[in-house]
Amino acid sequence: MKSKIFFLRSVSSLFLLTALVAIATSCKKDLDINTDPNVPGYNDASVALVLPAGELATTAKLGGDLAILGGIWSQYYTQSAVANQYKSYDAFDVKTTDVVDNSSYDILFSDGLKNYQYVIDSSKSQQNWSYYLMATVMKAYTTGILVDLYDKIPYSQALQGTANLNPAFDDGYTIYQSLISSIDTALGKDFTAPTNTPITTPGYVASDLVFGGDISKWKQFANTLKLKFYLRMVNAHPSVASAGIISLFAAADSATFLSVDASVTNFTDVPNKDNPMYEQNIRSLNTPDNLRASVTLASWLAQYGDTRCLKYFGDSTANAINQGDFNGTTPSYATADVFVEKPTDPVIFISAAESAFLQSEADLRYLGAGHAKELYDTGVARAFEAAGQANEIDSFILPGKPYDSLYTAAPLEAIITQKWLSFPIGCHEIEGFFERNRTGFPVSSPVYSTDPSYIPGEFVIGPNSVLSSGLYPKRLVYPYDETSRNTSAPALVPITTAVWWGL
Amino acid sequence: MNKLLTLLGAFLLLSSHSLFAQGTISGKVTDPKGAPLAGISVYVHGTTIGTSTGSDGSFSLDVLQNEVVLDFSGVGFIPKSETVTVGTPVAVQLVIQNKALTEVVVTALGISKAKYKLGYSTATFNSAAINRDAPVSMMDGLAGKIAGATISQTGGPGSSTKVILRGYGVIGGGNNQPLYVIDGVPLSDALLNGSGNTAGSFTPDVSGNLDFGNGSTSVNPSDIESITVLKGTAATAKYGSTAKNGAIIITTKKGRPNGKLKIAYTGSLDYASVGKLPEMQSEFGQGWNGQFILSENGSWGPKLDGVERPWGATVDNSQLIKPFSAVKNNIRNFYTLGTGSTNNISLSGGDKTTGFYFSYGNVSNNGIIPTKADYLERNTFTLRTNSVFNNFSFNSSFNYINRNQNAPFTGQGSTDGASIFESLLQIPVDIPIHDFSAYKNKFFNVDNYFSPYGENPYYPLNENGANQKSDRFFGNIDMQYKFLKHFTAEYRLGGDFTNMRTHGWKQPNAPSPGSWDAGNNVEGAPRAVDVGTVIQSSDYYGTLNSDLIVSYNKDLSKDFTLDALVGGNFYQSAQRNQFAYITNLVIPGFFNLSNSSNPPITSDFISLRRRLGVYAEATVGFKDQLFVTGNIRNDWSSTLPINNNAIFYPGVNGAWIASTTFDLSKTPISYLKFRAGYGQTGSDPDPYQTNTKLRSGDVTLGFGSLNTPFNGTPAFGLSNIIPNPDLKPIITSEVEGGTEIGLFKDRISLEVTGYQRKTNGQIFTVPIAPSTGYAQPSPGQTNAGAVENIGLVTNTGIEITLGAKIIQSKAPSGFNWRIDYTYAKNNNEVNYLTNGLQNVVINTDYDAELRATPGQSVSELYALGPEMVNGKIVVNAAGLPQAASNKVDYGSTLNKYAMGLTNTFTYKSFSLDCSLDFRYGGVMYSGTADLVLFTGNGVATTYNDRKPFVVPNSVMAVTDGSGNVTYATNTQQIGSTQNNTYWYPTSNPGTSYQQRIFDRSFLKMRDITLVYSLPVGIMSKAKISAASIGVYARNLLLWVPKANVYVDPESTNLGNDLAGELGEFRSAPVSKNFGVVLNVTF
Repeated sequence: MKSKIFFLRSVSSLFLLTALVAIATSCKKDLDINTDPNVPGYNDASVALVLPAGELATTAKLGGDLAILGGIWSQYYTQSAVANQYKSYDAFDVKTTDVVDNSSYDILFSDGLKNYQYVIDSSKSQQNWSYYLMATVMKAYTTGILVDLYDKIPYSQALQGTANLNPAFDDGYTIYQSLISSIDTALGKDFTAPTNTPITTPGYVASDLVFGGDISKWKQFANTLKLKFYLRMVNAHPSVASAGIISLFAAADSATFLSVDASVTNFTDVPNKDNPMYEQNIRSLNTPDNLRASVTLASWLAQYGDTRCLKYFGDSTANAINQGDFNGTTPSYATADVFVEKPTDPVIFISAAESAFLQSEADLRYLGAGHAKELYDTGVARAFEAAGQANEIDSFILPGKPYDSLYTAAPLEAIITQKWLSFPIGCHEIEGFFERNRTGFPVSSPVYSTDPSYIPGEFVIGPNSVLSSGLYPKRLVYPYDETSRNTSAPALVPITTAVWWGL
Repeated sequence: MNKLLTLLGAFLLLSSHSLFAQGTISGKVTDPKGAPLAGISVYVHGTTIGTSTGSDGSFSLDVLQNEVVLDFSGVGFIPKSETVTVGTPVAVQLVIQNKALTEVVVTALGISKAKYKLGYSTATFNSAAINRDAPVSMMDGLAGKIAGATISQTGGPGSSTKVILRGYGVIGGGNNQPLYVIDGVPLSDALLNGSGNTAGSFTPDVSGNLDFGNGSTSVNPSDIESITVLKGTAATAKYGSTAKNGAIIITTKKGRPNGKLKIAYTGSLDYASVGKLPEMQSEFGQGWNGQFILSENGSWGPKLDGVERPWGATVDNSQLIKPFSAVKNNIRNFYTLGTGSTNNISLSGGDKTTGFYFSYGNVSNNGIIPTKADYLERNTFTLRTNSVFNNFSFNSSFNYINRNQNAPFTGQGSTDGASIFESLLQIPVDIPIHDFSAYKNKFFNVDNYFSPYGENPYYPLNENGANQKSDRFFGNIDMQYKFLKHFTAEYRLGGDFTNMRTHGWKQPNAPSPGSWDAGNNVEGAPRAVDVGTVIQSSDYYGTLNSDLIVSYNKDLSKDFTLDALVGGNFYQSAQRNQFAYITNLVIPGFFNLSNSSNPPITSDFISLRRRLGVYAEATVGFKDQLFVTGNIRNDWSSTLPINNNAIFYPGVNGAWIASTTFDLSKTPISYLKFRAGYGQTGSDPDPYQTNTKLRSGDVTLGFGSLNTPFNGTPAFGLSNIIPNPDLKPIITSEVEGGTEIGLFKDRISLEVTGYQRKTNGQIFTVPIAPSTGYAQPSPGQTNAGAVENIGLVTNTGIEITLGAKIIQSKAPSGFNWRIDYTYAKNNNEVNYLTNGLQNVVINTDYDAELRATPGQSVSELYALGPEMVNGKIVVNAAGLPQAASNKVDYGSTLNKYAMGLTNTFTYKSFSLDCSLDFRYGGVMYSGTADLVLFTGNGVATTYNDRKPFVVPNSVMAVTDGSGNVTYATNTQQIGSTQNNTYWYPTSNPGTSYQQRIFDRSFLKMRDITLVYSLPVGIMSKAKISAASIGVYARNLLLWVPKANVYVDPESTNLGNDLAGELGEFRSAPVSKNFGVVLNVTF
């Protein structure tokens, strides 16, 4: 009996063993199904597919969250008194955990810089220098925005994934120097080399969303960006700024700097395909009229009869709210003009007007070539054109007209103030915030804008500010997403402390 | 040679009896102490050949074969089967029957076993217990009745049921649900939300999610014979990967091959009324900042004075008038009486070889929300057969389920349209909600609804909605062949296939130019346009499962028995979700994807996983009192790295029936068993986490997103998830030990189990610093970072089940009282996370988040909290509390312990059941509280009679000229017109979360049922074999701590897994049900 059972057991064991072997061999094939069918694989990546993903990330954050934050902090518009969305911005109460702080930082690193770095590395190995230049400029531009917002950020050790989970924070000025030198390296490449590929995906339109791959314009963007970087150094490192600008202009000709906007256009009036600020503030938010005209900007426009009021607030004179007075009960607040946004508005990285103003300031400060006023006039003219007010240019900049007189009285203040006036175009508001922190213009008002002695256009502190009296925000606090996950993150720096280049 | 011939002979004679008489078998039957037992039936197994023992316990029997199996049975004794041979005297011992020794439970792989042989804890419920109160979902009737099982129903008809056994072990992937197994085949328990849940999102979140239930809610409870809950890994290891959270083993009703046709009908009528609603204050009326404002959506106005005043919009130069006083039961009046019915009819029977069971079940249920916004129609068809042909048996089961369900959008409204629940919560307390039901009336319509900040709740109720139609088939075939005397081969093939079509729609609307809501109101505030939406999704879920099992059962010797099996398993699960939506509808009322000037936004998702497994188990029994079981399993999974895809896990358990070993007849102990078990399961990750990939170039904006292709340019970026080519499985290992005690002839039964379960190697996409380049989830995704095995979670607990027959009448129809009590305490702790990870965020609502933090529970609630200096709250210049820079721990959301108590009374033909469910401890965040506090409707907002107040115990920072900060006692009042700022997180980030987070303890009367069974005499005349009628109520009473004046703590719209532990976000209220149920069997 026993031996029979033993035998049967052997037979069935053999059977099972055979089955197991069969399973084991079929295992590999049947189980090798773990490639995600829902997205392309890493090997499908190409510089042409990845560059526009990066450009869109910069576009989305600069033209979305940062435009709105910048617009409120640049006192173009203010939080409506009958809605809630941006109260914390107007109260200068942006904290380390706030979405606006974290999401811009997260996306600019993850969807912007990381993709630019991929294009830089990949195009470098392919000697595809046109892509190399575009990605280098976009990476420098985007990194510059982050430095201007946060001062120190991870740079030299960043973007390495799990290879470095705790990238060190680099000094903002050092990063700037490195950005300039990376632009120089890229500019020195051979763009006629046969290894350069066309800036299109076969069968599709240009993969570059900014200039459609026009390398001459990218070179202008690169130079104008360098100029902007050098001018950021005027307080902290004036001699470096001066030397850099002099050498930049030494080789300059008329084609050196941008005379058109470096921008992303081609937005359509369709959900998820429209201007990011419009998409997030109008289309996707249930209260589309949070952003109302601020007395700060509106009073200036009214004072000088500046017709751009029509563009900004849809009215020749704006009914405005005193900046930051969102709990105010003034009856006219309810009907204050809403900041005009269009789904097809562009997102501008550097505007044509800004380029002229940067050159004007460079001439005024360091070159002394006598073109400063001329460039200033060009800047004002371009700004009016961009606002659809080309016909009005002469009545402001011809000799004796208001913006001519202002220049004569105080050239630098006039340049920066005109620049400030131009930034609401193309979701470029954050630059107004940066430039005021660098130059102090427009100046701060000693009184609130309700005071009879208030001078139009001067910056005020709203009644709901959470900061100690007289203080303005000068940066963003390091985002919680970074500080909570990166052991190399430095201690939080108060929002009122200037970044390295600031006043 | 001889052996081989014998073997051949065995094969040839396998299924036929020899026709020749072989001889006589004789023997003696005694009890374990050797005393002879008389009157014991002795039958040849499977035949009518038999006899019974004489007064000396002896018997003799003529048999046809040399070797036969004899079945011994007698009243009061445990039946026993013995293999005997002609010529060998038989000595059989029968053990006195003890109720605990007769219970048979269905264990893993659908194998029935005597409960006393098991080394782990089980709980079994029969059909009557499951169906006592005619539940729509099978688990609903078991809440509070299983120690160690947390069962909650989360919303309206057909919504998800949450079942968690022995606490949450798994951090990532929302996968803490048990495995549901029907007749040995795993059932898909996927959430049936449809991929069109929200624009681009596959997971429940705050924005407008829909709950169409989970997979287990499709099964018709009436078709169930029994449910066995296997809570621990020791019990479920044989299932491998899928059973790491325990298993619910469902055995369905079968036909009996007895030649009779049985027809059974069960029907019920069910009524539902709204349960707990937020309590509203009744002192202050419409307005804001202390002023009466006609168009405000809150109650921050002046004191209610009862004076008749005009309200709402001025339309055609007229305005409505009403008293300025609080409306009683304002929100309650919005809800209606829900009505439902269930009808089940089953036919079963069969001839001598084949039994069949056919049933049709219908559930029609219209919930408490007016209209058919919450509605479920479910039809189930079942056909099962079970046939025995000699040594071969064949079973089949085919089940078809058709569901047609409507579910309301919950959560946060968006630009496409409003949510009913949000709209309800922001109507001032003095405005009668029910009047708005005439939502096309000129005063209440889109143009003239009183406030531009909200919408008439009857508008989304009537104009927006979502419907899901689904077809589901599941079933199995099962073949068993007893190919040798002790060997049985079984092959089982099962499948579960669901196709769902989900359709959501929101009507576009906009206030007409110049109308009240277009901005022509006292505040000049226009209401945003609702652009409308159409969502369509098509979802497929399919699983295939097959097992081949060879088992061997043999009494090795007089004392030793062996039950062994080896098996192989193939499992595949596939999923496809296709989803499209449009916004900006052009033609109102036309809900088709073509109805927009914009192209539809689409997504397409495929997922496929396979597993192969082999397993073996052996149980050795010694003298029917000591059992040791060992099992091993090895799985190969497609979702693990291809060159390292094997998972091996062992298990062992033992049971000792001490009351059989020792004579305890002089003690009150009638049954005593000790058991201990250890088991491991390995769980594979979700698919597609091992290879590097790209992602679409879509970018998330503050609201909305910027999508690719952009103006014809395709864009793909590098994925923000770093895959892990070295990913390991999650290993769950559990040790449990317990005792089962019967006292006073089993009048009292007690089961105590202690366990510790360690879930190691948690798979999670770990958020990493943005500067590494991998931080931002893609639109529609919830995570970014590095996929890693991150840590260890331990659940340690104790479970007690006590049953006592307090009064046991001797007469059959006398009064009986039985209580069943359960107690479960589970301690959940994250032991560590790897890579210095400080915590893992599982879910967030605004600034409240659920975290898994080492040293704390896996479900710890963090939110903004006050900045404190020397124990005092720091306020800002406005006198409002400031937030500390780090979020504050508000405690675990998990209950500290749970208790259930069921009282059963029977008297004559009546039986009365009442069960209570008590859960103590844990906190929750409430999005309902958030909204009623913001609007000043909540009772808490009458704090200090809304007079100016200084935040108690607070200080204010003072900065001197040189920048030094000191703190002075705060004297800054929050003015009576600014009271509202204290109750809103934007203005009061410091303490507003304390207002929104509260204790989630509750005591619920789960159900109370009274059943009357018709006397047999009456019934036999009508050829009815059994009939009963019962009345029941579910969730009738609810007690919660004082702080919870907002919601039923079980209601949630954040899903039925760990993420839902955060709380709720403006979810639908839970209902109370009552009804009548009728059972008739012919």
